[in-house]
Order: sequence, then structure tokens, then C-alpha cells
Amino acid sequence: MESMKKKIMEIEEIINNPEHIKTVDLKTLFNSFLSEIKNRIASYIGDYPTFIEPVFLEENVKIGDDVLLGPNVFIGTNSEIGNYVEISNSIIFENVKIGENFKIENCIISKNSVFNFSNLILKNSILSGINNREDDIRKIEL
Amino acid sequence: MPEREEKGFSRIKELESINLATDEIRDQVIQTKKEVEKDNKKLAEQLNRKFKSHKIKSYDIVGAIGAGKTAILERITEKLGLNYRILVICGDITTRVDANRIEKHNAETIQINTGRECALNAYHIHQIIKNKDLNDYDIVFIENVGNLICPSEFILGTDKRMVIVSITEGEWVIEKHPMLFKMSDIAVINKIDLLERLGTNLDKMINDAKKINPNIDVITTSAKKGQNIDKLMELMGL
Ligand SMILES: Nc1nc2c(ncn2[C@@H]2O[C@H](COP(=O)(O)OP(=O)(O)O)[C@@H](O)[C@H]2O)c(=O)[nH]1
Ligand SMILES: [Mg+2]
Repeated sequence: MESMKKKIMEIEEIINNPEHIKTVDLKTLFNSFLSEIKNRIASYIGDYPTFIEPVFLEENVKIGDDVLLGPNVFIGTNSEIGNYVEISNSIIFENVKIGENFKIENCIISKNSVFNFSNLILKNSILSGINNREDDIRKIEL
Repeated sequence: MPEREEKGFSRIKELESINLATDEIRDQVIQTKKEVEKDNKKLAEQLNRKFKSHKIKSYDIVGAIGAGKTAILERITEKLGLNYRILVICGDITTRVDANRIEKHNAETIQINTGRECALNAYHIHQIIKNKDLNDYDIVFIENVGNLICPSEFILGTDKRMVIVSITEGEWVIEKHPMLFKMSDIAVINKIDLLERLGTNLDKMINDAKKINPNIDVITTSAKKGQNIDKLMELMGL
């Protein structure tokens, strides 16, 4: 658990300085974090999603109807996952809001990101910011 | 080819809403259900090609809650765990009780908690397999969600499907659930250590299975006493 915490802090620090991201280093760290994720699904708010372990949920995560999470998913405190969403091999930091019917694979979504719309496939990217339409999204390739 | 196939698949959803659908949309719901089953089949076939190309033996184990699916897997992994690299995928509505039981016998386990869904489907297996190097495994067992109805709609891409019932479910259990027996290669009738006490009509159960599916191999076992487990493994090709 200690190592998980340490790695997630390192990842957060890296993506907070996007102009300095060395994708190779980040990818290594990302994959090593994913392989260390422990299952923690005891506390969340919402319907009964499908979990493929391991999935690690921090406190107060809200999950909509008909959601598929895992394998290798970390979701930070207070984040909200919309209905019909599917997430695998990804880190969602705290206070993130994911719209309905998103499919997210191999992504890192930074703290306080918001996606205020529905129906999108996101793959192999680092994402952030407030996004009210698909056109608002600025991705960094992962 | 794999690239194109990979992109084409989206999540497989159970559709239980046909009974709820209003007349105006019923045709559409039925059409969608057929497409979902077709997608599941395609994905299952792709998984089976992957297993085969890596010389992995794969098994889908279905049956009612409490029939002894996990107990039999414990017996088998106990015998094979030291010599083979085994991956066991366990499906349950919630908890990782079964994965914990099997993990003790040198097998890697992955638990899927299906929440509301009453069967595993090929997409669940695909999501796990896409992260795995299949060179690391010799055998894959999948313990499906305990249920004698829903799993019949979704094949998982395994070489063999094995249905397990127990004599405690009564001698009518096979005749009442023909679908799964039609689609299975092996029928296991478990808990025969209790036969004397319960007086279940075992011959009827065996005959019913054969009547429903003349090609099915039927075997009686006791996971508790370890009875006929070797024979079962022989039937499984292990
Ligand atoms: N007497 C007896 N009990 C068994 C046998 N196999 C399993 N059980 C018991 O039946 C219960 C359910 O078994 P389990 O393996 O969890 O069933 P599953 O739900 O199909 O996985 C457990 O308490 C087992 O110990 C058997 O062959 N004989
Ligand atoms: Mg079980």
C-alpha cells in the first residue's frame, strides 16, 4: 500500500507539469502502479456495478447505473462516474466527473477534471480540465 | 485481423428487458438481443483462438449455487497446482470468497463481481485476457456465476463447458434445466457421498442428462470425499 501511495503521488507530480512529461518514464511508472493496485471496493455510493479485480476506490466515489470497472482501475476521493461507463487500466484522480457512457482505457485523468457530456471513447491519453464538449478536450498521448 | 476485430467489440450487455418492452419497441429489443449474442459469440471465438494458439486448456464451469463448483475446482487445483500454471476466473455477484478458497492451491485467481448480472460473458474474459501474457499459463478455469439459466446465453470461448449439479438439488434438477445440459460437454452430478441419506434417484438424473444431450459425458462425484475426481479430470483431458 505504501508503494502504491508513493507511486500515485509521483504520477500526479509528473502530470501537473505537462510540458516536462517524458512519456517513456511516465509509462513505466504508470504500468508499475497498475500492476500494484490492490482490490478495495468496499465503500462507494451508488448502484451495483460490475467489478473485475483489482479496482481501488478511495472514499466517497459515486458510481452510476450499469457501470463496468476494472481490471486495474484506481479512482480517487469524491470522483463521480456516470451511468453506463466502462473503465479499465486507468487512474482517475480525485474530484473528477465522468459523463455518461464513456469508455476509458489506459488513461490518466487528473484531479478536478470534468467531462460534462456523454458518449466518448478515451484511450491511451492524459486528460485534464473542464470539458463541456468533446472539442474542449486537450489530450496528451500516453 | 486481430486489430480490426478488437475495435469492433463493445461491452456485452444482458438484456432482460424483453418482458418489460412495450409493443412498439419489442421488435427492436429482440433484434438488439440477437446482435448482442452474436457479438458475444464472435468475441468468444476470438478468445478460443487465443487460448488454442497458446496451447492453453480452457473450461467454463457452470451450475447452481452450492452445487460444488468451487469445491471441485479446489480438488483439481490441489492436484495440478504444483505442476501447471493455472488461472482461475471466479464469477460471483459479490465477494471474493471463492477466489480465496482456490488461491490456496497454487493457482492465480481473478474475481469478477457482476453486481446485477447473472452470468459472465465473453467481454469480461476479454478484459482480463487482454492484460495477460498467455505464455504464462497452461490451464484456464472459469467458474461462472451460480445459476442454471443465464449462462446458457453466453459462451466464453473455452474448449469445454462443464455443468455441475448436486443430488441435494433433487432428481428433477436436470430435466428442469435442459438448456445448459444441451450446451455442455460434461455433466457432473456431485455430492454422491450423501446418496444414502437423501435417497435421490441418481439413475434418473443420469438418464435425463443423456436424453437431453446424447453426446454429454456424465460423471458422479463427491468433492468432499475426493471420489471420482481423477476420472473427471480424465474426461476433461487433464
Ligand atoms: N457433502 C458434500 N458437500 C459438498 C460437496 N461438494 C461441495 N460440498 C459443500 O457444498 C457447499 C457448496 O459448495 P461450493 O463449492 O461453494 O459450491 P458452488 O457454489 O457451486 O461453488 C459447501 O459447503 C461445500 O463444502 C460434496 O461432494 N459432498
Ligand atoms: Mg463457487
